[in-house]
Amino acid sequence: MRADGFSSAYGCDNFVFPFGRGGFRDRGIRSENPSIIARATAGANAVSAICCAIVHGVSADVIGIAATPLDSRLVDELAAIVGRDGIVSRPSELKVYECDGWTVEKNSPDLLVMPRTTEQVSAVLKALWRRGLPFVPRGAGTGLSGGALPVNAPVMICTSKMNHILAIDLANRRVEVESGVVNLHVTNAIKRDGFFYAPDPSSQQACTIGGNIAENSGGPHTLKYGVTTNHVMGLTLVLADGEVVELGGWAEERCGYDLVGAVVGAEGTAGIVTRAVLKIVREPEDHRTLLATFADVEAATRAVSAIIAAGIVPGAIEMMDQLIIRAVEDAFHAGLPADAGAVLIIELDGLVAGLDECAARVTEIARSAGASEVRLARDEAERAGLWKARKRAFGAVGRLAPNYATQDGVVPRTRLPDILRVIGAVSKKYHLAIGNVFHAGDGNIHPIILYDERKPEEVRAAVEAGREILAACVEMGGSLTGEHGIGVEKQGEMPLLFSPEDLIAMTELRRVFDPMERSNPNKVIPRPGSCVEVAAPRRQVPI
Amino acid sequence: MASASSGAPMRKVVDYELLFDCVHCGLCLEACPTYALKRAEMDSPRGRIYLMKALAEGRLPLDSDAARHLDLCLGCRGCETACPSGVHYGRLIEDARAFVEANYRRSLMDRTRRAIVNAIFPYPARLRALLAPLKSIERAGLRPALAAMLPRAMREWIELLPPLSGCADERAAMPPAADPGAPAVVVHHGCVAQVLANSENLASEAVLAAAGYRVVRMANTACCGALDLHSGNRDRALDFARRNVRMLAACGADAIISAASGCSTAIAEYGALLRDDPELAGLAKSVSATVRDLSALLLERGLPTMRKLECTVTFHDACHLVHGLGVREGPRKLLSSIPGVRLIELAESDLCCGSAGNYNLTEPEMARELARRKVDNIIATGADYVVMANPGCEFQIAAELRRRRANIKVIHLARFLAMALAG
Repeated sequence: MRADGFSSAYGCDNFVFPFGRGGFRDRGIRSENPSIIARATAGANAVSAICCAIVHGVSADVIGIAATPLDSRLVDELAAIVGRDGIVSRPSELKVYECDGWTVEKNSPDLLVMPRTTEQVSAVLKALWRRGLPFVPRGAGTGLSGGALPVNAPVMICTSKMNHILAIDLANRRVEVESGVVNLHVTNAIKRDGFFYAPDPSSQQACTIGGNIAENSGGPHTLKYGVTTNHVMGLTLVLADGEVVELGGWAEERCGYDLVGAVVGAEGTAGIVTRAVLKIVREPEDHRTLLATFADVEAATRAVSAIIAAGIVPGAIEMMDQLIIRAVEDAFHAGLPADAGAVLIIELDGLVAGLDECAARVTEIARSAGASEVRLARDEAERAGLWKARKRAFGAVGRLAPNYATQDGVVPRTRLPDILRVIGAVSKKYHLAIGNVFHAGDGNIHPIILYDERKPEEVRAAVEAGREILAACVEMGGSLTGEHGIGVEKQGEMPLLFSPEDLIAMTELRRVFDPMERSNPNKVIPRPGSCVEVAAPRRQVPI
Repeated sequence: MASASSGAPMRKVVDYELLFDCVHCGLCLEACPTYALKRAEMDSPRGRIYLMKALAEGRLPLDSDAARHLDLCLGCRGCETACPSGVHYGRLIEDARAFVEANYRRSLMDRTRRAIVNAIFPYPARLRALLAPLKSIERAGLRPALAAMLPRAMREWIELLPPLSGCADERAAMPPAADPGAPAVVVHHGCVAQVLANSENLASEAVLAAAGYRVVRMANTACCGALDLHSGNRDRALDFARRNVRMLAACGADAIISAASGCSTAIAEYGALLRDDPELAGLAKSVSATVRDLSALLLERGLPTMRKLECTVTFHDACHLVHGLGVREGPRKLLSSIPGVRLIELAESDLCCGSAGNYNLTEPEMARELARRKVDNIIATGADYVVMANPGCEFQIAAELRRRRANIKVIHLARFLAMALAG
């Protein structure tokens, strides 16, 4: 079914906003063109149409996705903006962009553009806007939910060439970076001065800040320091029509709606973030890193709850189960007890005074929860070894099976034993090995489902197993994702957590930024029908 | 998988099973020098592995694009250090290169360039003969004039050559024999190294002797085969490997080292390379097992008292030393132990300088860009010396420093240590 009345207003490229320019410059939003607020109001006129469209299943191509084929004129025009070396158009070369870290689904873009500046991004998006072409933003392609998979988005915009650190302001504890800067490079640039950038996803040596912003990435240390959204103070966002808006800024407190907060975690559906002002954190005076060994995951999770209940907030509490411990030991020989049922890495940080007492208290709690051994890392090298083992656990699993899918669910901390039991049952049911390595402190689980992409039935089983685990998370009062995002991977599960009205409200919010849904279309919000049937264009490969 | 279902023919590009070690996580991206500069997935390890897979599955033709992206890899193996999945990238790229050489016809210019490199560099006698006239020209002070007259491609090659007068050509007398019961070490003198970096070989022998090792020599040194292996000439590489296995085994040394880390790594991998050789598999394995690193040997026995060298140094990690042999701390420890020496850490110390065997001869543009980046970092340290343990890196970095007229001395670790031990 098609909502023709709606598409006549929104499917047109030369749509004129019914509100005037300007008048919306304040500390929160600076905008040079028709303000996004104007759009919000314009959008409100069509809210009922949108609701109708979603509920009744309007296909994406009606809502602003005009299928203009890519022509050589467009390629020339874009090359004039970004230079020939910023364009990839040959199918054989585009093949490597057909998936990110979520390899279950694959689809090549028709064109890849690598701009170097905000101005170039703006000019590129303007050119696409004129032709009604949707696009998909990509950072380093390390995402695990298929956020950078092109789904009816012929053009991919990659931020890898926007990788400059623009300003370091230690006194105000801020850095400003381009969105293609690698997460770890931010910390590397300020480490000497005793600072670090707190969100530290496992892929931090390669993933970009832009990708972190899209997925609202976390990491082990977010238990104490918070996730990406707690560290992004300001953004430069290029909207789908090429308009450049500044949200937030360098100051700590601001009034009005938290638009930065709306963009962080929007998975690229609000536009392309080109710059970000980030909060940086002083390195704690010292660390105590403990390795606690347990006979099973249940005892380990009991210890986690007991530590938090005792009022202690460690920098990180990470859990690895037996399968992961073995994989990691084979790979890195980090000195983990190979026969343990589970281990916890507990890191306490802060002022030196009191740290040892705290470590003693944690040791005591872990022991009474059933830890057979609690070991303190003796020096920095031992601590680094433990973290290396933890951070590279995902990859180490690659040694056990040709492929894996990393799930990312959240449950209330006290339900960890229950969800782990479910995961064990799912593993048996589908005959797939599943390892567990996760941020136990905040109840963010990461079951790693092993499979072989050469066996279609295993791929299907892996996807099914993941879904079952996520459904259990939601049932226990948890959430579908802690940090990897919904992408395409978990779109189908969104209705488990949200009512149709919720999803409509989210879509309305998204359309404040991107009324035509041209920026990373067909992500996050389930497409009509996609929860019951698999759309052909994106499921080209295994399923 | 598309290819399996569509029934496309499988091609023998690489050991297909090895490709599945890669889980497409992308952690290798920033460790790759070509990705660091090009910022594009095709020129990253993950992208190249994807390409190899697509080639093997018959989903992609071996066209100029595919060959280009495989050619551009330096084989530095920085990705292996970064990889959590244990992908054997070195083996994959070597096999893929052999596939390209066998199945892809390059441009005339490319073929000529490669033919010259292949015909000359692995053979010390040929290289010496070729350099003899240049040596006379240099003696007459006419090398800059000659360089100015040559076309650009050749000029860049000439620029890479170290001052030939500084190359100790002749075989120096053996260092004094140590305690006959001391462990014996053989220094593989290499092919290009024995012509252009003989002082590095001799210095290695001298410092080993000073540490109390018994230095033994090979009767005759042949190229280790790394140059061929890295450029896809697998058969000749295997020939060289077999010859070396026999000659090194005949030395009966307890440890094998090389002043060129690329050679050390190649020898350390003979076991894997010749694993299917009916005659030499076992011997190759045992030869490979005796490969050590100079710094490890010296730290084991300790060096005699060294004189004070008031200077600042920075250390550049040669790719195959750090990513191939996994040696990172040893050289730094040795340098820091010399009285008066202050070690300054080099930013991106383990990012390839662009030398990469004969890469700077076959891919001059990318090699040059990497040299610029490396030298920027070196200059930023403000050190008096940049120390490294590979002659190829020395030539590459020294050439770029000369172009910048920077006053930082390039020196091999063995020569620096020999300097501290002298007098």
